[in-house]
Amino acid sequence: MFAPNLTMIRFDGLTKRYGTLTAVSSLTLRVEPGEVYALLGPNGAGKTTALRCLATLLAPDEGTASIFDVDVVEQPIEARRRMAFLAASMGLYERLSARELVAYFGELHGLSGDVLEDRLDELVDLFGLTDFEHRYCGRLSTGQRQRVSLARSLVHDPPALILDEPTLGLDVLSGQTIYEFIARERDRGKAILFSTHQMEEVELLADRVGVLRDGELVAEGRPSELIERTGATNMARAFLILVSGEQAADRNEAGP
Amino acid sequence: MSAWWIVCVKELRETLRDRRTLLMMVVVPVLLYPVLLIVSEQLLLLGMRNLASDGARVAVMGEPPPELLDLVEQSPDLDLVTVLGDPERAIRLDSVSAIALFGPPAGADGTRDVTVLFDAVSDRSQRGHRELNSVLGAWRDTLLARRLSDRGLPSTFARPISIADSSIARPEEVGGYTLGRILPLLLVIIMLLGAFYPAIDLAAGEKERGTLETLLTAPVPPSAVVAGKFVTVALIGIVAAGLNLGSMLLTFQTGVLQITGVIGLEVSIPLGSVVVIFLTLVPLAVLFGALFLGIAVRSSSFKEAQNALTPVYMLVLIPAMLPIFPGIEFGPLLAVTPVAGVSFFFQQLMTGDADVVTAVLVLGSTGLYAAGALYFAAQAFGNEHVLFGTSGDDSEAARGTWWDRIKERRGAQLKPEQAMGFVALVAVLFFYVGTQLQVRLGERGLLAAEWFLLFIPAVLFVRVGGFDAHKTLSLSRPSRRGLVGALLLIAGATPAAWLIGWLQSFVIPIPWELLEGLEDLITADSAGRLAWLLILLAVTPAICEEFVFRGVLLGGTKSLAPWRFVLLNGLVFGAFHLSFETVIRFLPTATLGIVIAWAVWRTGSIWVGILMHLLNNGTIVVLASVPSLRDRFADPEAPPPLWLLPFAVIALAAGVRILRGERPDHITLPEPDENETP
Repeated sequence: MFAPNLTMIRFDGLTKRYGTLTAVSSLTLRVEPGEVYALLGPNGAGKTTALRCLATLLAPDEGTASIFDVDVVEQPIEARRRMAFLAASMGLYERLSARELVAYFGELHGLSGDVLEDRLDELVDLFGLTDFEHRYCGRLSTGQRQRVSLARSLVHDPPALILDEPTLGLDVLSGQTIYEFIARERDRGKAILFSTHQMEEVELLADRVGVLRDGELVAEGRPSELIERTGATNMARAFLILVSGEQAADRNEAGP
Repeated sequence: MSAWWIVCVKELRETLRDRRTLLMMVVVPVLLYPVLLIVSEQLLLLGMRNLASDGARVAVMGEPPPELLDLVEQSPDLDLVTVLGDPERAIRLDSVSAIALFGPPAGADGTRDVTVLFDAVSDRSQRGHRELNSVLGAWRDTLLARRLSDRGLPSTFARPISIADSSIARPEEVGGYTLGRILPLLLVIIMLLGAFYPAIDLAAGEKERGTLETLLTAPVPPSAVVAGKFVTVALIGIVAAGLNLGSMLLTFQTGVLQITGVIGLEVSIPLGSVVVIFLTLVPLAVLFGALFLGIAVRSSSFKEAQNALTPVYMLVLIPAMLPIFPGIEFGPLLAVTPVAGVSFFFQQLMTGDADVVTAVLVLGSTGLYAAGALYFAAQAFGNEHVLFGTSGDDSEAARGTWWDRIKERRGAQLKPEQAMGFVALVAVLFFYVGTQLQVRLGERGLLAAEWFLLFIPAVLFVRVGGFDAHKTLSLSRPSRRGLVGALLLIAGATPAAWLIGWLQSFVIPIPWELLEGLEDLITADSAGRLAWLLILLAVTPAICEEFVFRGVLLGGTKSLAPWRFVLLNGLVFGAFHLSFETVIRFLPTATLGIVIAWAVWRTGSIWVGILMHLLNNGTIVVLASVPSLRDRFADPEAPPPLWLLPFAVIALAAGVRILRGERPDHITLPEPDENETP
């Protein structure tokens, strides 16, 4: 559905500093259409900062990032049209109904009239919001809130999805909704970049994995490759080895 | 549809669904407000009827003439009772309202002394006092008339002048004047209350709920988000104040209140004025909306924003209250003073005295302030540190005891909030303890206060706090060039401060009693006294105050932009010199503070500040001590001599030029907070 020769998500030597602390250092990576990329790292490794730079929320100090070949620094508004950002908090407006909330973001993305209404009906069906679409978000359960958040992120049907710890604090059932959502959108040819601490979802969903340690990408590859390279038996063990620095050579191998 | 409009409609929809805002915006003004007025009026009337229904119980003690007793007994408003024992106790126990105590029989001059005993804090006793006085007055008039008649004189003999009052104010003007004193404050309060919670909810609330990140990834510029939110807050403020205004005027004008008849107040404000008052609310609402939003978005949570906005709310009330106080003349300076201008302009509109020039000044200046506040808010929404920055202090706070943390921090950079906190603390100490020391020990108390409440705490704070003393207190030696620049600067700044003081005497009344006291304090009649005054008023403050303001405060705020910390330093220094009696010292002192702070920053040396402070204060003490100079220089209403001003301007310009050339290593660009973490 998208031009196959275009890289969907791209970081080119992106560096972000907070005062003297370098949160992300020369990050370079690609996510292609129809690919799910998991960004891993311990707390404070720079995952959220990298994703916020890509989502145009933070300005990088050096390097850049682009979505669908649109530079996020030079054309932030255009870049936002091409991506959906799902923050870890999944905050919703408490006094808007589920439908009003999704409609609000639809309007901000330039949808209106029948086009917007049709899109809302579509999303209500897709995420099973029928029973509570007119209920205030403040009265929704965690699972229901999460489905509204997903519908909100897809209202403009963007080609790239940026998800910051999408399963944080969710139970198994709600987590399953996220997995299905990611798999479905990948099958629709979208590029998906997500950060997580859950290694089972990495093994289940990720086509490729990047591991950040102190702001630097220290390893990158398919989950099976990383497991093999570290000599671990599973992704969780491989991750521990990579972030503890035992496989320092991996840092050099982390290519574009 | 514009993005800002989409944001505004959504915010209005959500806000109108918030019961708290609706309560403040609609219910309070439309329902509760008139209901409260009517209830209080009924209670007042009821109280007055209760008081008037029975005669006031009064007594007459001593040796009263029977004629007076007859008059008291005949009065329908008085009920004569007998009091045995202590008259004061009888009044306290409320068994009698007022007692006329007769002194000994009249002497040779024929005058009889009568004391009316009553309780000034009891309504019932006050009424008894009033009625009893009235009967006594009637008795006195009877006696006078009798004396005149005995001597064959006409009754007008003892009344050479007949005075009658006749006010040119129409009844509705009186009503407008009375209402005009309280209405501005009321409107400002309602507008503030109306905008308070929406501003917090739309800014800090959005951050706390985690929706701000999502909103800012929508394809709209941050300015559109700010504009939408700001219009919402301003609209809510306007609607709240507009509803309040309408409700209040209708309540008065439809004659619902019988009280207007009872107290003789008539309110009839021209419709044109009401419209103008409403239009004046718009820039004020814009100002509050933008100011609140800009502050609230800098807070990370609803509670934090509430804490940050409450002092602002209180501060705004002060200028809004000014029209209540009598004797304040509304001039151009007040017209351009934020909030105060609008408050006074409201009052003028209520009495029909408003003119076009004042309207332009008030609306123009308020519009400018509003634009500034809007810029302040927009800056916050475009600043990633404000929106997403988190401080590493929490994790630090969790580690070890406070002493461990101090030890870890050795050589650390003092932060602005720490410096401001310290200055606030010593200012409070100086205000309470320092004032007591001065009252009890006089001049020695002042000396002790400066050293023990300013200097020693400043040094201890830097030492115990583990901060780099040399860097924080700017202890470097100045260069020769820096010293020359500083000397020239203070030679220009002292007359400049004098000029500012003189100019402000046209606007702010001079408290003569206070100045006389000050003059006594700084006047020396001997060389020994002059030396002591120089130690007390020049050397001591130059060292002690400089260590607090150009030492700790300047050292702690250097991470801000230079113009900000220099301005802040001067304003805080000026505020420190405010007193209960007067604000006249604020502007001149703040000006000197700004100049000295700039010089200390440029030279990197507090010694320069001490020298400048010493010269400024020393000059004043010397001028006030020499009788021939005193008359010329110590009169606060006298302008600085004209010949002095060109010299001052040249000295200032030369000082600035020299110090601008000073580029010691310590001047670096401010860096962002190093504690920010991802």
